[in-house]
Amino acid sequence: MKVHHNGETLLITGIKELGATNANAFRDQVRASIVDGHKHIEIDLSETMFLDSCGLGALISLHKTICARNGLVRLINPTPPVQQILELTRMHRIFEIVKR
Amino acid sequence: MPPTANFERATTLRLSSGCDLQKVRPMTKAVREFLAAEGATEEEVGACELALVEACNNAVLYATPEGKKKSVEVEASLEAIGIELKVHDHTNGFRMPEITDLPVDESESGRGLFLMRSLMDVVAYKAKKEGNTLILKKNRTQNLLTKRNPTDLVDTLHKRLQESEHIITDMMDELSSCYESLSAIFRAGAQLGKTNNLEEFSRTLGKELLEITGADWYVFRIVPKDDSRLVLFVSHPVIETGPLPIGISCDADSTAEMKAAVGRRDVWFHDRAPLDPCDPLRLSMPPSFGLVHPFFFGDILMGTLTVGKAMGRPVFNAANSQVVHTFAEFLGIQVANARMRDEQINHQLVSHELKIARNIQHALLPRVLPQFSRVNLAGFYESARQVGGDFYDVIPLGDESLLLVLADVMGKGIPAAMFAAIFRSLLRSSPELNMQPGALLSRVNRLLFNDLSDVDMFITAQVIFVDAKNNRLTIANAGHCPVLLTSQGAAVEVILPEGMPIGILPEAEFPETTHELSEQARLLVYTDGLTETRNAAREMFGQDRLVELLSKNRHETADQLKKRLAEELAVFRSNAPLEDDLTFLLLAREKE
Repeated sequence: MKVHHNGETLLITGIKELGATNANAFRDQVRASIVDGHKHIEIDLSETMFLDSCGLGALISLHKTICARNGLVRLINPTPPVQQILELTRMHRIFEIVKR
Repeated sequence: MPPTANFERATTLRLSSGCDLQKVRPMTKAVREFLAAEGATEEEVGACELALVEACNNAVLYATPEGKKKSVEVEASLEAIGIELKVHDHTNGFRMPEITDLPVDESESGRGLFLMRSLMDVVAYKAKKEGNTLILKKNRTQNLLTKRNPTDLVDTLHKRLQESEHIITDMMDELSSCYESLSAIFRAGAQLGKTNNLEEFSRTLGKELLEITGADWYVFRIVPKDDSRLVLFVSHPVIETGPLPIGISCDADSTAEMKAAVGRRDVWFHDRAPLDPCDPLRLSMPPSFGLVHPFFFGDILMGTLTVGKAMGRPVFNAANSQVVHTFAEFLGIQVANARMRDEQINHQLVSHELKIARNIQHALLPRVLPQFSRVNLAGFYESARQVGGDFYDVIPLGDESLLLVLADVMGKGIPAAMFAAIFRSLLRSSPELNMQPGALLSRVNRLLFNDLSDVDMFITAQVIFVDAKNNRLTIANAGHCPVLLTSQGAAVEVILPEGMPIGILPEAEFPETTHELSEQARLLVYTDGLTETRNAAREMFGQDRLVELLSKNRHETADQLKKRLAEELAVFRSNAPLEDDLTFLLLAREKE
């Protein structure tokens, strides 16, 4: 997983899986990377082949963190299996899902 | 012959790993590869993988301390008709809800079961003594319908039938376990019918509970009626030490039972979630793990049922905790029933007592009033629903003289009726004082004072000596309401001699007043039930109406006046209930 600082956006890329084993570590690492100028978080899910309910929990946790800064979490280019889970659990109501 | 020979055999993969989140993914990836290699579609593989991950994560996260030492086992079978995944866990189990909804959007957890149910066609949970199994099934209807060979289709359908039979057998197992606990409850219920003793009944039920759940001990507490604190009702069979007090050595709120009662939820205790050092369960029981279940009747907390097992013994599974729940609910209903029965009996006792009191009361009243040549008399008595202690008496003294008594014992039920009876006897037992009503009341007061003050009761009374020969009235009053006297050509006289009620002061004096009983005079003696009779608008009948009635009808006989007054009272009251006994006595001196 890689962290990029892009103006007021924190961009996360290179996530292969987001599940029970790494969800908490992922959440903590992203939170630790947020600096004062950051307003939004973009999470690139184009390489993510697996997402479970713990992974969803981590994404929601980040959503709450960034909401406190009046910002947004954008999910970028989710793979078909991940897109399916996001829709099934109606996460599109919370996150902006962006295809680029 | 059944077509077993052509059966498409299921291919099965069995895996097992330590109870560790890190080991879940390698295992589920292996299942993924297995399913893909066996020809499952990409969609089927993806759904099964995620459902399996959710199931295995739960099996690890919710494993009991004992269960953490054991492995999580997974079975995956693939057939033409469907894919079946099984996860064997060592958790305390859970009750599968009928519907699984998504949690609120902001919730960070609670989507696992929803995902499993969304992705799979069947999600079932079997709680058994030897361990629990989560079964996940995905149908492959598409695959079934595209089969070209009809023999294969028949085979597959036959296989499905066999599978259903298998499921039915499992259900039978579960049913028989339910039957076991039900029959235990019925056996105990029959015993309750015999003993009516809740404590004994709870013990019987407790014994059955230990057998069915394999627990070593139980503690059953009920909340006493009209109390919010939890106290012990029936204890455990291991240590018969008597009641286990809560909250003596430490803060009651930190005990597992209080937590369960206040939080209205089950509380599990084990080595990872130990009991508070001063929890009575910890102090009195061997080192144990177990479950506290609070139970309710409607919304009212009835008590808690706790079961425990010595550390190291097999954990309680979901079936066990369900038995605990069933037993507790049943006990709760029995406790509520027993209370209702007590209330009913109490109510019956009260109404029986009232009936007795009413009988005593009626026996005190003269059945027929004595007749005199120069005066005529009429008495009226109507009792309220709650019997009070009113009575009147007429004692003939010869020479056309008589003693009139009208009294009101303050109190209700049998005690009031008993004092009325005693008072009546005492008045009749001092004939030498019949012509001195004040002295008579003093004597009766001295005799009754201790008994009355012991029970905080008192008696108000009017005693009137009617000297018909000399046409004089001598009146003494013990805290009672006034008497009304009409004389020809004069206004109605309201006579109220001084005097305390009987039973207030040990040496009370009752000064007498004397009055002329003129020709055609009318005398009315009554209890406050008369003037305080209320109509529907809550107005009181009052003394003025009495005065007016006497004043206008002063030539009528005692009996005519009685009827008139009773009618007027009935009209005034209309449908309003009688709140107190209503008693009055009328005397009329004849025209010479």
